[in-house]
Amino acid sequence: MPEDLIKLSGVSIGYKNKVIHSNINLNIGENDFIGLVGPNGSGKTTFLRTLLGTLKPLSGTIEKNNVRFGYVPQRDTVQPLLPYSVLDVVMMGRYSLKGVLGKINKDDEATAEESLKRVGIFSLRFMNYNSLSGGQRQRTLIARALAVNPNVLILDEPTNGMDTPSHYSLINLIEELHDTNKLTVLFVSHLLSDVANLVKEIILFEKDNFQIGYTDEILSEENLSKTYSAQIKISRIGSEFLITSKHPGSHGDN
Amino acid sequence: METINTLINLFPYALMGSVLAGIICSFLGVFVVSQRAVFFGASLTQVSIAGVAFAFLHLVNLEGLAGSVFLTKIIGASFLHEFEHTFFSLLFSLIAVLIFSQSYRQRLITRDGLLGIIFVLAIALRIMFIQKSPVAEISEIEAIMKGDILFIGANEFYTMLVVLFIVFLIFGIFSRQLKFVTFDAETALAHGVNSRFWLLFFYLTVGVGISLTTRFVGDVFTFAYLILPSSTGLLLGKKVIHVFIIAVIVGAVIPPISIWLAFILDFSSGPAAVVLSFLVFISVYGIKKFAG
Repeated sequence: MPEDLIKLSGVSIGYKNKVIHSNINLNIGENDFIGLVGPNGSGKTTFLRTLLGTLKPLSGTIEKNNVRFGYVPQRDTVQPLLPYSVLDVVMMGRYSLKGVLGKINKDDEATAEESLKRVGIFSLRFMNYNSLSGGQRQRTLIARALAVNPNVLILDEPTNGMDTPSHYSLINLIEELHDTNKLTVLFVSHLLSDVANLVKEIILFEKDNFQIGYTDEILSEENLSKTYSAQIKISRIGSEFLITSKHPGSHGDN
Repeated sequence: METINTLINLFPYALMGSVLAGIICSFLGVFVVSQRAVFFGASLTQVSIAGVAFAFLHLVNLEGLAGSVFLTKIIGASFLHEFEHTFFSLLFSLIAVLIFSQSYRQRLITRDGLLGIIFVLAIALRIMFIQKSPVAEISEIEAIMKGDILFIGANEFYTMLVVLFIVFLIFGIFSRQLKFVTFDAETALAHGVNSRFWLLFFYLTVGVGISLTTRFVGDVFTFAYLILPSSTGLLLGKKVIHVFIIAVIVGAVIPPISIWLAFILDFSSGPAAVVLSFLVFISVYGIKKFAG
């Protein structure tokens, strides 16, 4: 029986006096694979920040059982002017484990290099981070999160703005990290098809509400159309979900 | 050669001090520019001068207080005379840094907007303080703003030496925190590194450096040497350490050459140092742009 890593009981999230969502009850266990979806401004990032501990819950309790987070931010938020190498960036993952005055040692370097190998960019380790493609940058940020030796990996819109091959290559990597390394993965995405095909459980954030459940339960046309205030169509090609938005005047409506 | 010997004999502290001021500003400038906080440097130089102007109002007798605490004979009367100006310059700068550091807590105004308000308010206050100054020391304030490096004396030189040592020590010891929080503060915080504290700590250190160099060599030199050597370093450096080294070399070498040129051509040394640093920057930029 997988152990619960994180337990949210009656948690309200928000900023100062503004409650965004209240009474969140959720258990996150070992090797869970959870997708966070919802329109812009529905509270996904606020939820993530509360979970990570960078934002205090307005009420309720969050119990963490030997949790070590590896966090992968949105790639666009990291645009350094300084010429950091890929290895420099991944080594940052080790800094948080060293205390204020702790020194980086050979083990840390070995862990960083191992993380680079796991995401398939070891050969790029001396390259300038700024010179990488979007997909390579994202892999660097994932390697940095893995260098923490996390048991919970949180990815915030990791495939945003990527071309199709890079996109699917990264999706495969995330799936592999979950399956092979037994990581608990929380994955935020605007691409409903990605989330539907990848995760087992979904948290669907709406403006004033949220739903937690298994993918099949949450992803219905009616549910999604209501949440996104648009006509959403769910098709299945083999075992794969294809979720699209129907726009008035598009060919499908004629 | 004769000119150089004359300069060394007449202005030994100015020559050495210009090197220190250049190193402090260019080193801190890498932080300022890489944080996309250039306007932070500009605002802080003005806030620092407003602090000096406030000191000229003599509302608080800090000179006498410091004399009783530190023993005038040990510290020296000239140091105490400067103490009040330096104190208020630092105080104003640190308050400005604290206000700026809290900008992430609100979304009503952008970071640039806040810096702009600090900038114009500092200039307005400086003018008002000077107008209300009870003694005719306006020329002294103007001299500070003009930024003649030749005014650097022994006190200023040793103070900057201490500042340089502290800045190198802080940025060296806490280089890991510096790297992580300046590269990606959000993830640093998520991974347990208190990026808000560390950014405040580094900004305060930068604030002290900018405040003191502005006080000693003027706002034009300070701001220019925050921006130009670090920008040159960013153009040329292939690694982060190279950026710092190139910036510091440019910051260290150009000011004494400028003093020599200013002496020969009869210019003010501060503006000459700025123009020469700009020529280095634009040459590097041109080579990078047109020669690949």
